[in-house]
Amino acid sequence: MLIKPIGEDFRIIGYYLGRIFLVVAAASLLPMAWAVAGREWHPFASFVLMAGLFALLGVLGLRARPETDRLEWGHGMVVVALTWVIVPVIGAVPFALSGHWANPLDAVFDALSGLSTTGLALVQDLDHLAPSLNFWRHLLHFLGGQGIIVAALSLFARGGGITLYHGEARDDRILPSVTSTARFIWAVAAVHLIVGVAALGLVANLVLGFTPIRSLFHGLMIFFAGFDTGGFAPQSTSLGYYHSAIFEGATAVLMVAGAMSFGLHFALWRGPRRAIFANLETKTILGTFGFTMILTLVGLAVGGLYTSVVGLSRQGFFQVLSAHTGTGFATIPSAELAGWGGLAFGGMAIAMALGGMGSSTAGGVKALRVGITVKAITNQVKAVLLPEAAVVGTSYYQSGRRNLTTELAQSAMTVSLLYVALFFLGAGVGIAYGVPLQEALFESVSAGASVGLSVGVTDAAMPVLLKMTYMFQMWAGRLEFVAIFALLGFLYAWVRGK
Amino acid sequence: MRFVLTALVFVALVVAVPGIATAQDDAVVPLDALLAQPETYSGRTITIEGELVGDYGFRSDGTMWTQLNDDSYARDALVDGGPRTGGNTGVGVRMPDALAEGLDGPGGYRLEGPLVRATGIWKYHDPDRGGESYLDISSLDVVEVGRQLEEGPDWIVLAAGIVVLAFSLGLWLAGRREV
Repeated sequence: MLIKPIGEDFRIIGYYLGRIFLVVAAASLLPMAWAVAGREWHPFASFVLMAGLFALLGVLGLRARPETDRLEWGHGMVVVALTWVIVPVIGAVPFALSGHWANPLDAVFDALSGLSTTGLALVQDLDHLAPSLNFWRHLLHFLGGQGIIVAALSLFARGGGITLYHGEARDDRILPSVTSTARFIWAVAAVHLIVGVAALGLVANLVLGFTPIRSLFHGLMIFFAGFDTGGFAPQSTSLGYYHSAIFEGATAVLMVAGAMSFGLHFALWRGPRRAIFANLETKTILGTFGFTMILTLVGLAVGGLYTSVVGLSRQGFFQVLSAHTGTGFATIPSAELAGWGGLAFGGMAIAMALGGMGSSTAGGVKALRVGITVKAITNQVKAVLLPEAAVVGTSYYQSGRRNLTTELAQSAMTVSLLYVALFFLGAGVGIAYGVPLQEALFESVSAGASVGLSVGVTDAAMPVLLKMTYMFQMWAGRLEFVAIFALLGFLYAWVRGK
Repeated sequence: MRFVLTALVFVALVVAVPGIATAQDDAVVPLDALLAQPETYSGRTITIEGELVGDYGFRSDGTMWTQLNDDSYARDALVDGGPRTGGNTGVGVRMPDALAEGLDGPGGYRLEGPLVRATGIWKYHDPDRGGESYLDISSLDVVEVGRQLEEGPDWIVLAAGIVVLAFSLGLWLAGRREV
């Protein structure tokens, strides 16, 4: 029997939502300060309104005052799912008021795309957008990639932190407590922020010849979008704007760092480093990256799109890396990417769908699930082929030897299948609107796996239902379904429960 | 006879003028057409027209890189009440430093960059630059100088924001007192 949620359930959910909104209200002071520094008074007004709305929701949430502040699993999941709906809606206010988005839906689309670190965009005339608004777009990547919840946890962490942490699609508890893990994640981000912005800024200034202030601006924006595998860029031509292999190389390092699990970051910091390459997840991602890279390069070579090996390798490598890490930066126009047919298209689509590592900022099925699924299938095949008396190993190495249980394999396969269903959903809606199969599939995988590469389907003029489908894909794909199901279950219990 | 001659001249003009106009139009390649079939123009000298936006990157090899946009915003900025017509349409351009001397600053927020007509070789998947595509400019004419645009604060939005912030603060303080 379904138990109908009572007032206390709503108070607990409201209270935790309130805390999170206050964190976001504090974060929105940053673009506000940016607007003041740049004397951008029109965006400034909209940031004041946005901060006010977040603060108001936060204070109202705190006034819910539940009897206990201990979150149960279901509460935590509902809090996470709602956070990822409400923050983009309020966060879209400055976009909607700027005149660069056709309507509020488009503004929410971009805010959700930013927060979910997808990178698909409906902004119009990006090249004349106010820098403070550009900063807010990229800061959304940072908040979403590092995790708003993680931010909230590192600031306050009484009761139920673990539930919120898992709700945001994170599995690794690197340190004994969730709070210390959350703080470690922010420490990793802070170190990368300093090193990344310095490196990109120096390249922009010394190699590309940009002015110091503009170098810093580009360094910061590309850091947010690269390290958080987001894919927004400050100029309309994405990474192609820079026309520099060195700049692409520096960005690629950040993209790889962003797609690495925080567990792996921890191992790199504290060691033992040798064990890293023994991990199933590391071996899987190296294997799938190599496979999709070869597929794409062979496809490009057969298609004769590039006349030089260097050109083919550089463009192919960057696009596949961008797809596999779920970043979504491109060095070629979307019209050109749409022309990558055959094997090149297959390589890119598979790379996007597989995604990065678990507990990272990347989206997609994730390497560990792919590894576990492959290992489980291999074990099944071995069990069939080998004599009955033979014993088939059922363990794998991932920061220590672990048992590959049936439940684990089922769980990995279920989530993988849900992703496939999500990809087909978006592709189906696209095809229904007359988008060719290949392009519909590419764009759908890009949205569902939080990548952001586009072959031109995502556009302000696309049908409303298609926009909403992609928004659902970005939301569900980023949260890896569990929190969404919990929210749906909660709503169902509210309506039908007793 | 005069009537016939006049009629012939008139007919000739009617036929020829669109032809002349077409020939002039053909000289400038719209970026939509260039990006739709970039390989068609590979290695050819073409002329494109549009606004210089983003940054002027002066590199150590004596070249300057920037982006040239050929979209409605190049002539009709959103801030000035221009229509929304979708995303930007732009390509990378490279020119010798000397050509960039005296140019107004590139387009950006509240800035309309110089509108230029640029002629050069369309380098598509240039093997010497790792497969990049860009226009290698050899001559540049400024069609329209850049200009500053205005965008003041939205007082209603600002007032609404301050009211909501103040109300939130009051609510929070009241809540603390109740506790």
